[in-house]
Amino acid sequence: MIEAIKINNLKYSYQGSQQLFDDFNLTIQVGQWVALVGHNGSGKSTLAKLILGLIVANSGDIDVFGERLSVATVNHVRAQIGMVFQNPDNQFVGATVADDVAFGLENMQKPSSEMPKLIDEALEIVGMQAFKNREPHMLSGGQKQRVALASVLALNPKIIILDEATAMLDPEGRDMVMQTLQKLKARFGSELTLITITHDMDEASLADRVVVINDGKLILDGEPATVFSERDIMHSNGLELPFAGELLAKLDKRPNSYLDERELVQWLSHLKK
Amino acid sequence: MAITFEKVNFSYGAGTSLATSILHDITIEMPTGQITAIVGQTGSGKSTLIQHINGLLKPTSGRVIVDGFELSHNTKEKQLISLRQKVGMVFQFPENQLFANTVLEDVMYAPMNFGVSKQDAQLAAQQALTRVNVNEALWAKSPFELSGGQMRRVALAGTLASNPSIVVMDEPAAGLDPKGQNDLLDLVRELKEMGKTVVFISHQMDHVVAVADHVVVMHEGEIAAQESPKLLFNRELSWFNTMKLSLPKAGQFAEKLRMQGMLLPYRPLTLVELSQLINKEVQS
Repeated sequence: MIEAIKINNLKYSYQGSQQLFDDFNLTIQVGQWVALVGHNGSGKSTLAKLILGLIVANSGDIDVFGERLSVATVNHVRAQIGMVFQNPDNQFVGATVADDVAFGLENMQKPSSEMPKLIDEALEIVGMQAFKNREPHMLSGGQKQRVALASVLALNPKIIILDEATAMLDPEGRDMVMQTLQKLKARFGSELTLITITHDMDEASLADRVVVINDGKLILDGEPATVFSERDIMHSNGLELPFAGELLAKLDKRPNSYLDERELVQWLSHLKK
Repeated sequence: MAITFEKVNFSYGAGTSLATSILHDITIEMPTGQITAIVGQTGSGKSTLIQHINGLLKPTSGRVIVDGFELSHNTKEKQLISLRQKVGMVFQFPENQLFANTVLEDVMYAPMNFGVSKQDAQLAAQQALTRVNVNEALWAKSPFELSGGQMRRVALAGTLASNPSIVVMDEPAAGLDPKGQNDLLDLVRELKEMGKTVVFISHQMDHVVAVADHVVVMHEGEIAAQESPKLLFNRELSWFNTMKLSLPKAGQFAEKLRMQGMLLPYRPLTLVELSQLINKEVQS
């Protein structure tokens, strides 16, 4: 079976500084939602840049849907990956929300007759149809990030990478974006591979799989419940567990395995009855 | 010597037909030597409010008194320099303001701007960088080569280097990882220990509970509450819904327990408090 992303023996060092990735391996299956987590400076954003071919590895291979990333293939690889960055204000070019979504389509030289339909569809998916003719800078942070997501979706990518896309948002904006991602996943299923780069564990807990990296090394890899059972390892790598996980560790009577918030509330309320 | 707002109103484009009223009749006091948190929904007027503390904005009517300095609509630009020496301002994502060739030069900029000699500015910059834990090995580097967390600390040092007696910060912990957030909260506590008055905007109620002595809640340009975190976070749940304000995570968890029939004796505000209450409850 072909993988969405396959990274093999990757080596990368910043100019003139020590090795960041040293024989790094990671395979992401088609249709998986992977949360890539690590503290600031752990190498998670660098990894995203390497996958996109924005920076070049010293050695090792990156395959995207079976295609080896190289100078010859980089444009084709990038065309399959959509990227949403941390600061929504840095990614707007259009005078209106619809113009902004159109920008990417124009770059891909889509016929203008098809554009209105593609734009409408993309905005509809993220729930921003009603804002089509608004100016992007008048939107809230959460709305801006959903428009950025729509711009990416209009290009029909097979992989979407969100690099700390909720870090600059208020709690309401963050919830908005996370709900939109869950909707995307429900709608596209195995047609869409999702990579969210974050240090917010409540966000990571929504993924199918959590990959913890630090100093360019893979520290933990598994389902959220498995990874969040390793409290000491998470802490020693500068991360915390979701709130429920931190609470669980402080309880006298504990369940046998990791529980997420909803499960822990249930478990505790039964204990009392 | 506190920061006092007396019946402050503020409108953009005041006196024109396009006037948009942002702040309405604000009367508050932020006590000297204490930590005041300002909370409220996006668009409630928090950033507009704090820009009155160092005179970036002037009240359309009413006055702001900062450590004896009176700011009103007819305060002259020239007079503002003494206010700006008292008040250090850290904007949202302050790393966007870095500009100099090296970390050290960037931090020296503010004190030199206030007329301090180059030698003294350098000393002040070194002290500020040390205080926020920026390793000496980085001082000669370009600020743009640093990681996000390091850039944030350099920007903070830039504000601290001119030794302001009041430090105002707009969401200083936003976007930082857990360790970065804890370091920042430690720094806020340290500023208080040094005798400084600290004002910060936050969306994270856990941070408010962790460091604030006093909380100001804004809602649609008005003051909805000003009291201690303890009083504030024991208000009824419906009030928080109206204000679109969240409870600290421990309080949220307790509410979820309550909905499943497990009632705790009071609303916990921290993880430790919550775990103690649950442990007692489960034991009995």
